[in-house]
Amino acid sequence: MEHNPILVIGAGPAGLEAARGAADLGYKTLLVEKAPVLGGNPILADYAAITPDMENAERAMKRMIDAIIEDPLVEVRSETTVTAAAGDAPEITVTLAGPKGEEQITVGSVIVCTGFQHFDPGRETQMYGYYEYDDVITLVDCERMLKAENFVQPSTGDKPKRVCFIQCVGSRDRQIGNFWCSKVCCGIACKEAIEIREMVPDCQVFVFYIDMRMYGFWEDEIYWKAQEDHKVNFIRGIVTEITKRGDQVVIKGEDTTMGRPVEVPMDVVILSVGMEPSEGTTETAEIFQMPLESHGFIETVGGALNTVTTARPGCFAAGASTGPADLEDSISMAGAAVMKAAGFLRKHTLAASKSV
Amino acid sequence: MPLTILNNQLGGVPPKAKDRVFDRKGKKPEHYYRDQLFELEEKGELVVHRIAEEQDAVEIETKYGRKKKVPRDMTWHHKSCGQCGHIPGYSTSIFWLLRELGYTYEDPRDQTSCTAWNYYASSTSNPAAQAAVALRNFAQAYEDGYYPIIHCGTSYGHYKEVREELIHHPKLRDQTKRVMDKLGKPMVFPEEIVHYSEWVHVMRDAIAEHQTLDFSDITVTVHPACHYHKLVVEDAVYDKELYDGQRTAVVSSLVKALGANLADYSTWHDCCGFGFRHILVSRDFSRSFATIRKIERMKEEANPDVTLTHDTGCVTTLDKSQFAAKAHGRNVGIPVMSDAQFAALAMGAHPYKICQLHWHGVDNRPLMEKMGIDHEAAWTEFEEIAAKVKSGEIEYMSWEDC
Ligand SMILES: Cc1cc2nc3c(=O)[nH]c(=O)nc-3n(C[C@H](O)[C@H](O)[C@H](O)COP(=O)(O)OP(=O)(O)OC[C@H]3O[C@@H](n4cnc5c(N)ncnc54)[C@H](O)[C@@H]3O)c2cc1C
Ligand code: SF4
Repeated sequence: MEHNPILVIGAGPAGLEAARGAADLGYKTLLVEKAPVLGGNPILADYAAITPDMENAERAMKRMIDAIIEDPLVEVRSETTVTAAAGDAPEITVTLAGPKGEEQITVGSVIVCTGFQHFDPGRETQMYGYYEYDDVITLVDCERMLKAENFVQPSTGDKPKRVCFIQCVGSRDRQIGNFWCSKVCCGIACKEAIEIREMVPDCQVFVFYIDMRMYGFWEDEIYWKAQEDHKVNFIRGIVTEITKRGDQVVIKGEDTTMGRPVEVPMDVVILSVGMEPSEGTTETAEIFQMPLESHGFIETVGGALNTVTTARPGCFAAGASTGPADLEDSISMAGAAVMKAAGFLRKHTLAASKSV
Repeated sequence: MPLTILNNQLGGVPPKAKDRVFDRKGKKPEHYYRDQLFELEEKGELVVHRIAEEQDAVEIETKYGRKKKVPRDMTWHHKSCGQCGHIPGYSTSIFWLLRELGYTYEDPRDQTSCTAWNYYASSTSNPAAQAAVALRNFAQAYEDGYYPIIHCGTSYGHYKEVREELIHHPKLRDQTKRVMDKLGKPMVFPEEIVHYSEWVHVMRDAIAEHQTLDFSDITVTVHPACHYHKLVVEDAVYDKELYDGQRTAVVSSLVKALGANLADYSTWHDCCGFGFRHILVSRDFSRSFATIRKIERMKEEANPDVTLTHDTGCVTTLDKSQFAAKAHGRNVGIPVMSDAQFAALAMGAHPYKICQLHWHGVDNRPLMEKMGIDHEAAWTEFEEIAAKVKSGEIEYMSWEDC
């Protein structure tokens, strides 16, 4: 069955799974990745362990990469982006821009897996001082230290004694226009809290939250574990302000359970930054004229029963390019997208062969 | 092709704050009141008072990246109510700066108090009355042909809340319209609500060019007014060059432009003590907060020569609370003034005739000495003029006497 290849854009968890799935089904696949390495945010942002199994992120992603790298049906182009697209599926001619210049290729179907970017805390409504204080860091900065097995107070290099997380940074905030819950940051904060407690047993860890959103198995596998086995303290209340007194950062906010203000010095404050559509997601949507949904992610049109079909026939989207998603969502969506793309191509090639 | 996993950033310790560079990108808030005002205008519900070309406006960046227009010329001076009586030097310094820098302005004599202060203290008024007061003042400025600028943080913040209410509540617009009809005035709303510290911010380089005193020895702390940067936060002005765009730029930008030392302290984000209502209903709390949380912290951590702010309420609370703490032997004694007064002093304004520092509670003579101002000679001059007023030789002090 002759067909134009399936184009997968973005080689994060969703894109890798889509490429693997398409090849497993016997379809030629072209995987295009902007970065020089594969693996998406878990690699680019140096994640340490991944929830819920706490597997080493690098090892987990390597397994995904190994599954496609030797497959003759998958052609991988790194440091490459799609800059233009003309025509309709199953005959879309895309222009690729990569290290060797520009090239035009005709593809049969497209799966967009261009993912998310982390919220920049400089745009936060509250006064968190990420650009002012060394010891105010993000979930991502924390992942890097955990990956290097070197969790320290950045300003001194010493082991910290008191660390806190502040949830919902850049999420659930009407003022900055990010109306959504980023879905993963509650779980990731619990995971990092556990890792910190294991790495620095003398360190007290606090999590300030509006409400902890731990769906499914993350509830007992991560959240309860953090509280019960690792003695992480959860405080319901928003921190509105971080300032510095002497060598320490001081957090100010309200403990809404106790109904009183809190003002506590901390050695390290970790901002649980949420997810926003990546620049690649916004640009790719424009190139393929795929409408964005109201939050700025790629719109899928099938409602709850079809999470991957976009308004462009033959074009699908998976993972965090469609909205906040954890790995389980991203991988499942990639599988669904491959199934739809393969189905689309098969129908068109069968129809073409019948008409011949 | 490098398809292997890179083990990035071994050691993993995040970059120091000074090496983190904030680059504002990403999703911007979608709904802007400005567009909404223009939509209402299109429907014939109100007139939007636009900043005219000849008003020589400058565009500056706000918290979330929107550009805000600040007119430099033909401004209408919206005064503060009770607080202006405490620090008359705030307004006169603004007038003096405008005159020295060659801009025209209107000093209206029939402006109404915004009444927001009582509203915050739950002691008077209702949304329709509040909105009508705001619109009456805006209509007056519009009819006078000048653009309103406000130096009182309370009015400034409250008018922005009124804007939000008017945009979203047709019934309120209707009620307000009926009041305006009775007054015979049009429903007018300015396209931007502008604060005088924003005007000073855009003028800071011009002010520095006219600077006659050397401030390099002067250490300054800044108190940003809550009503300015915490209420309707998206309207406050930020600048990448100041605190990496993380704190409002107004006032601090002037300190830098004038070559003074901008010093930090840990409670900069706290209220001055005025509160939205506390100064009226819980005055002792206000006084204690102002002195213990703000002034003493500044003293301990930065020991400034002066602290600057940009709201009449903040100046008076920080300044005039200190006498009580002093009586209790506490570590206080920092002169307080507005950004406009500081700018005027830098350009050589008379400390008493223009900046009216004699109305301030804390002894500011050591500060003046450090600034190179002969305050004794200045006071003698001031008393000579005052004697003429007393004797009836002149009715009041005029610009010619300054
Ligand atoms: C701090 C943090 C920790 C997390 N840890 C976990 C965890 O432990 N467990 C879990 O389940 N989830 C976790 N998540 C969520 C997880 O990162 C996402 O579910 C997952 O990365 C989404 O995969 P993706 O492939 O859709 O997107 P991404 O990982 O964002 O990958 C997108 C890829 O597309 C590429 N790309 C972008 N634009 C273009 C373009 N124009 N052309 C070509 N390529 C492009 C990017 O370079 C990238 O490689 C975490 C999230 C955060 C914020
Ligand atoms: S997952 Fe938790 S931290 Fe993240 S946005 Fe949702 S509630 Fe906030």
